[in-house]
Formats: sequence, C-alpha cells, structure tokens
Amino acid sequence: MTNQPAQEQPSPDSDQAADTSVALRHRPSVFSKLVDQSLLTVCRFSACVVLLMLGALLFVLVKSSWPAIQQFGGSFIIGTTWRPNPLEQPARDAAGKIIFEDGEMVTKTVPPEFGALPVVYGTLLSSAIALVFAVPLSLGCALFLVRIAPWWIEKPVSFLVEFLAAIPSIAFGLWGLFILAPFLQEYAEPWAKTLLGGLGVFNWMFTDSANRPISLTGRDMLCGGLILGIMIVPIITAISRDVLRAVPRHQIEGSLALGATWWQSCVEMLKYAKAGLFGAVMLGFARAAGETMAVTMVIGNNNQISPSPFAPAQTMASLLANEFAEAADPLHQSALKLVALVLLVMSLFLNIIARYLVVGGASGKSRE
Amino acid sequence: MSDTPPFSTSKLWQAKIVSSVAFSLCVACSAFIIFLLALITGYLGYIGFSSLSLDFFTKDPTGDVFNPGGMRHAILGTLVLLSMASLVAIPTGMAVGVYLSEYAERSWLASVTRFVCDVLAGVPSIVVGVLGYELLVVPMGNFSAFAGSLALAFIMVPIVARTTEEMLRLVPNSYREASIALGATKAVTIFKVVIPAATGPVITGIMLALARVAGETAPLLFTALGARLLSFNNFFSDPQPFPSLTAQIYKYATGPYAAEKQLAWAGILVLIGLIFVINVLIRLVVARSKR
Amino acid sequence: MKMMSKLALLAFAGLGLVASPVQAETRLSGAGASFPAPLYAKWVAQFQEKFPTIKIDYQGTGSGAGIKAIIDKTVSFAGSDAPLSKKQIEALNGAAVVQFPSTIGAVVPVYNLPGVSTDLNFTGELLADIFAGKITSWDDAKIAELNPGVTLPATTITPAWRTDGSGTTFVFTNYIASHSESFKESVGMGTSVKWPTGQGGKGNPGVTAVVQATAGAIGYVELNYATQNKLSFGAVRNNAGKFVKASTDSISLAATSAAEELTGPVMASPLWNREGEATYPIAAFTYLIAYQDLSSLNSKEDAQALVDFFQWAVTEGQATGVSMDYGPLAADVQAKVVANLQSFTYKGEAVKPAAR
Repeated sequence: MTNQPAQEQPSPDSDQAADTSVALRHRPSVFSKLVDQSLLTVCRFSACVVLLMLGALLFVLVKSSWPAIQQFGGSFIIGTTWRPNPLEQPARDAAGKIIFEDGEMVTKTVPPEFGALPVVYGTLLSSAIALVFAVPLSLGCALFLVRIAPWWIEKPVSFLVEFLAAIPSIAFGLWGLFILAPFLQEYAEPWAKTLLGGLGVFNWMFTDSANRPISLTGRDMLCGGLILGIMIVPIITAISRDVLRAVPRHQIEGSLALGATWWQSCVEMLKYAKAGLFGAVMLGFARAAGETMAVTMVIGNNNQISPSPFAPAQTMASLLANEFAEAADPLHQSALKLVALVLLVMSLFLNIIARYLVVGGASGKSRE
Repeated sequence: MSDTPPFSTSKLWQAKIVSSVAFSLCVACSAFIIFLLALITGYLGYIGFSSLSLDFFTKDPTGDVFNPGGMRHAILGTLVLLSMASLVAIPTGMAVGVYLSEYAERSWLASVTRFVCDVLAGVPSIVVGVLGYELLVVPMGNFSAFAGSLALAFIMVPIVARTTEEMLRLVPNSYREASIALGATKAVTIFKVVIPAATGPVITGIMLALARVAGETAPLLFTALGARLLSFNNFFSDPQPFPSLTAQIYKYATGPYAAEKQLAWAGILVLIGLIFVINVLIRLVVARSKR
Repeated sequence: MKMMSKLALLAFAGLGLVASPVQAETRLSGAGASFPAPLYAKWVAQFQEKFPTIKIDYQGTGSGAGIKAIIDKTVSFAGSDAPLSKKQIEALNGAAVVQFPSTIGAVVPVYNLPGVSTDLNFTGELLADIFAGKITSWDDAKIAELNPGVTLPATTITPAWRTDGSGTTFVFTNYIASHSESFKESVGMGTSVKWPTGQGGKGNPGVTAVVQATAGAIGYVELNYATQNKLSFGAVRNNAGKFVKASTDSISLAATSAAEELTGPVMASPLWNREGEATYPIAAFTYLIAYQDLSSLNSKEDAQALVDFFQWAVTEGQATGVSMDYGPLAADVQAKVVANLQSFTYKGEAVKPAAR
C-alpha cells in the first residue's frame, strides 16, 4: 500500500455556490437530513467501536492477569523458572538433614513458579536471529528494486516478494518442520559441529549449562529464527523500497555529480532514509516477535535460557499456543495472560515507534 | 563540512571494486529471495499436489489414523468462518473508513481512530485469540464458530478501515463538489458517487483482509478450537468447537501419522490456493473497474 | 454495491445448503487424555455405526485440558489418566462427579536408535536418570549394564516429553519418582513438570512425532502409539525383578487386585509398581469423568445416550481395546464400574443404562 498525500479540502465557497442556483430548487428534505445525520452517527459509532476494541483488549488482559501481577510484580519478567506444577521436596532441618516423622519423610511443597524470562529471552533472540538474516537480504533487494532493476524486472520481482508475504504462517511452519528442520538436523548442524565443535571457544554452542552435549535435532532456536527471518523479508523489503523511493533525486544526482561510485551514492541514500529504514526493521522485529504458528512448530518447546542457537527454546507466543488451552490452575492462567500482556505491550511499542519513524522518514523529515 | 570532497578520487579503484561487489550482492540478495520463494512454494506445491485427491474435498475425517478420509469439514468450516467474519468486519470497517475519509477533517476522534487502527493492525494474532477466549468463550461456556469468526473480524476491521479510507481519499474532490453542487446530501454523495467511484480499490482492500485472515491459525486455537465434525445443530444456542482448515492442518502436521501428514500437505496447498484465488479476484476486480 | 449484495446472497445460500438436513441428533462432546484417544475414536465410530443419530466428538487435548473442560462444563464428559485431585474436586463446588476407569493402558519408553534392533531393558531408576539429564549418551555404562551384548551407539540422548497438561506425564513421573529420590526432589510428579532437558511435543501424538524425527530420542507414550507407528519400545523391570514388555496381558495383570480399591462414585486406583512376575510396572487406568447430575446436557435423550455409551464402552467395547493393545477391564472391575453407572440423574430423574 503506498501512501499518497490527501487531496486538498473542498473550498469553503462551494457550498455557498451550491445553495444559490440549482440547490434552491432541491432543498434537502427533513428525511434526507435525517439520513445524513444517521450516517454520521453510524460512522462515528463505528469509530468508537474501533477505540473500544483496543480498550477492551487492554482492559481484559490487565484484569485477567491482575492476580499474577499482584503475586509476582516485577519479578515476573526476571524469574527464570516456569514450572506450573508444585514440587514435593523433603523438608530439611537446620543442619540440612531430611526430617522424618513416624518413619515417613516429611515433605514440603514448593509452589508453582512462573518466571517469564526464558520466553522473553526466546522471543528476543529468535527475532534477533530473524533480523540478522532478513535485514541484509531485504536492504539488498530494496536497493536492487530502486536503483538497479529496470521496470520490467522490478514489477515482477516486487510482485513475487509480496507473494511471499501472502503465504500463511502455518505453511511456513509446515515447510520448516518437514523440510528445513530435517535439513538442519542431518546436514547443517552436524557440519557446524565438526567445523567448530573442536574449538573450545565455541563450546557454549554445543553444550548446555550443565555441560551436557546439546542434541542437534534441527528443531531449535536457529530454525525458529531462520523461519521468522524468511517471513519478515517481504515486509522489510516493501517498506524499505518505498522509503528509498521517496529519497529525492537530487540527493542521488548530487552525490553522483561529486564523483561517487554507485555504492557510495547508495550509502548516501541509506543515510538519508535511515529513520524510515530503521522503522522498517522495527516493524519486521514486531512481526517476528508476534509470530506464533511457524515458530511453535519448529522451536523445540523447551522453556529454558541457553546461549546456543542449537538449543530448543520457547517464545512468548509459542508458550501461549502450547499451554493456554490446558491451564486449569487459576494462577497459571493468570500468568499466561500476563505473558500475553507483555507480548502485546512489546508489539505495540515497537509498532508505534516504527510507524512514527517510517512516516517521518518517507516524507523526508529526517536529515543528518 | 570538511574541505576535501566527500568522494575522494585518491582510492577510486578501491571504491570502484567495492561498488561492483556491492552491486552484485544486491542482485544476489534479490535472486536469493526469489530462490527461497521458489524453494518454499515448490516443496509445498509438489508434496501438496501429490497428496491431493478427490477424497480430500468430499470426505469428512473418519477417525481412523491410517485412513483419515478427507478435510471437507475443514474447508467448509473455513468458508463459514470467513463469511461470518466478513458479515461483521466489512460493514464496520467500511463505516470507519468512510468516517475517516469523508467526515474526518480535524476532529480528534478521527486522528485517534486512525492511530488506533494502525496500532490494532500490529497486535499479534495469538493475543486476539486470548481476548476472544476471555470475552466470548468463557461467558458462552464453550468454544464456538461465533467466537472464532469474531476473532477473525477483530483482525479484519483495522485493515478494511484503513484501506477503505485510503482508497476513498483517492477519489478526486471534484466528484464530491459536483455532487453537492447538484444538491445531493452528504449521505447520497457518499453512497452514490464516492464509493462507486472507488469500488474496485475498496473491494481490493476487503479481499486483502480476507486473504490475510484466511491463513490465520492462532486466533482460532482458543476460540473455535477445531472439531472432527461440522455441524450447525443449535448453532446459536449450543456453542461447540468448530472445524477450520488451518486448525486441522496444525493438528495433523504435528502428529506422528503419515497418512494424516499427507492430508496436512494437501490442506496447505488448498489453503494457499484459496488465498491465491482471492488475490487473483482482486486483480480481476481492479482491472474490471478500470474500464 | 450490487456485486456486494450478490456475494452476500451467495454466502447465505451456501450456508443454507450446507446446513440443510437437521434431524433430531444427539451431539455429545468430550475432551481429555490423548492416552486412550485412539481407542475412544474407534469406540465413537463403532457406537455411531450402531446408533447413527448419536454423534460423539472426543478431542485428545490432554488430561489437563479435559479436567479443565469438565470443571468449566464446556464438555459432556472428560477423559483423564490422572484421577481428579482433592483440589480439583473442591473446584467443583460440591457438584457430584462420577469417575470410572474405561480401560487399562501402559506407558512405554519409546526410543529412536537406528541400528539397534533388539529391545532395550530399562529400570525405573535408569529412566529417572535419563529424563533428569544425568545420563546423556546412549553408550553410557549404566545402560550397557542392563543390556549386555547390545552395541549401543555414542548418540546423544534427547528426552522427549509433553508440553501440555498430561495424565501420561502424571503416570510416568509418579512411577519414576517412586524409584528415584533425586528425581522426585528435582523434577517432581504431576501432569505438567519442568523437564531439565530435551524437547517437547503436544499430546501423545506430538511426543511420538518428536521421537520419530530425532535419532537418539527417548520418550514416554501410551503403548498404542508405539505399536501403531512402529516405534521401538523397551522392557521395564518390575517389582519381581523381571524385564517385561507392555502387552495386553502384562498390563491386565497389573489390575489383578484393583477391584477392591475402586470405591465410591469417584473411582481411582494407581496401577504402577504392581506385584507379579509377568506384570508390567507402568500400567494405568484411564478414567472417564462426568457429572452425576447431567442436567447441563440439552435433553434427557442426550443424557440417556451418554450413559448408554459409557455402559457399552465398558462392556462390549472392551474387545476393541484388546485389539488395540489396551488392557480390558477384568470381570470384577467391570461389575463395579457398571454398578457405578447406575447413579446418573437428569433433572431429578434417574438415568440408567438401557439395553438398546
């Protein structure tokens, strides 16, 4: 969708002109005035409905996650353990010995813990991997479309990139689960292990925190990040292309006149449009963070924090997809809604900033 | 600014090499993206096509994991959900679009609404599902097609609103002025002049929203859930889980049974086909309206 | 606008076509354990063949979801391998429920080791160490000790477990926690535990899929999933010291003295760690749960259909269970269950299973 400037407003004289000549013979009847008023009311009402939608979203999420907020407060984001079941642990006395009563071990129940850090980490890292993959590709493609391709190449290529955006996320999930993950499992990851595993400095990639070797299943953070990356390429490309197109010609021509090479003039373009490009990247990031189905199918579904891209992980969206329908304990339900709220706030924040940057960038408001 | 020209000629040959390399990389990036697209659609098309059969469209699931039957119920389910969502989302979205385009001027309600529409477009679809669960499933006591279609409508409304607004804005003001000059009221102007002038693009916007929502799974997971049977018994009084193509594909794809996985592939092809048909219809409508 | 109204008309016509024949149907919905889901799917299909107007839809969404659904009254009946806990019964606010075993199943350790053709032997303690992440490679000495003569590859072990609230997890963790104090303390027992390492899947099918796709994976699933998908599963050492593979016979033996323990409308009896030379040690009843007062159903016919389905399942349906590697309810257990099924009511009237 391209942004086109709005047409100028009707001049205040036109209504006057209408009244004098022809309109006097067609004075609006009471009925048509009523219709006019009702239409305005209906439209205003619909606008309020939209506002109500956002309001309801925030209200419902805050209200239903309130018990979790009260219980955990800020430590929700920092907590590293997500365990919906209580643990039976032996009660120990001051010396550390297990207490026995009537020959039976006395146990104390450790209540369920809900710490969201693993899933926040999972969301952030998988989106970051997606960006690392997608941003260079998208920028390169956008530059190609704006600076290199003649119109008869640019149109079909643009169409194909947009077609990639139309593919539903579950299709990406299926492709990732049955094509990409096995490829990673059988070829790419063992190859990486033979290449890098011997070097001690990469140990963190192949062993987990307890020094156990990580099994390379192909369904891990890396696969999730790659799939997300492919999914956000179209949106970053499309917005970058539009932003770069809006760079005034005189900037490009000026740099070329000063003796710049093709690439140097491109760099000038990128610098000029950097706010809009940054906005495009943030929109891509927001889209990657909110993506559910494709990620749930390939990320391994393990609520843990691991620096290795080959470890299975969990994102906020995949946690909701997996656990929401089954949470029976009210605190568990509330904690999940709090995760949804955190995800919502994060997406909204990124989206708002991104749109501000993109609109600002495209209209040339940013200058060095 | 320093005195030396920004693009120094002293290391021109180095800069030229960098430029050529960058040039080729840009071309390579585009080629790689096209390659990825070909890879994905190629696999989806090939495996999907070989799993497709007439049974897929005509049979319901049998429950037998080795002869799972077909996905007729899911295809119909998705069509029903899309129809119900459209019934709600199209009028609402168009009304908002008309408001933003025709009545807006400088009212604060319009700017806030425009902002909120953009914000809503960025809400992750699974959060919409959670909202649908809280607001619809819990009070009604069960999952239902009603809840599922409203969740889809929630996603459609901002898209329809913004595209309708933008397309209506493109109608030249001279049309509106002429209409008023002929004595028409604002309502008549909108319905008889402005909207017909933008029919093609407005329908494009609606179909874009439909295409986007046809492929959604996450909002349906907690609202319509998914079912083995498609039934309209006591449709409004007795809410029951409702099948959809995306939910069924997800269930089959994440299971271990090879026959079911085949159906999942076929389902993906049909889903992409449906989206593609909608996109083709968009272009046909646009072409027809330009005449 | 004309096109819009044409489209709308088409949509309504389509809806009408699809919705056409609406007979007097009974629709019942159930949700819960994926453990018995293949058997329940067969039962539903067979029952519908006999009574075409009774349509039952059972979704194997996991025991946790099933229990939640019955508490929220979104289903007519629930399936669960984990019997209702005290806390869950309290959440029912005094409403009486009927919980009865429908069949016996087994939790088996499935694994994916290409190149190893013999069935491996496991003990509860070994499984605890594997799933706790203490044993990380298939060629570990502890595994070799139990499997002399088998060449074990040096593949990393990937434990596969349930991401959803699962009765299978409940049974499995209870079993291995009883054999390993350290597992009990570090991981615990329940329908949803935090596994220290490995990959998750949704439902028994999801875990089966993970094991199928990953060389070196080991998971815990119901016997039927292992046999239907041709996955290797191991023998487990029982209390008598013998390594037994799960089968209809070995799991039926686990229920030998269970009848006495099944009391009251809420019947429950753990079948793991049972005595007997040929008994499989990780067997379990799977339960069907419904409210005693079925007034929340649409009509008395629906209530009657539900009770008749229960009666049919625990009597005539047992033969189907045997053909699918589930254990049939023994005569004494069956008698007790049938007695329990007499207690349903609908709006004050008794609903007893009728001979159809």
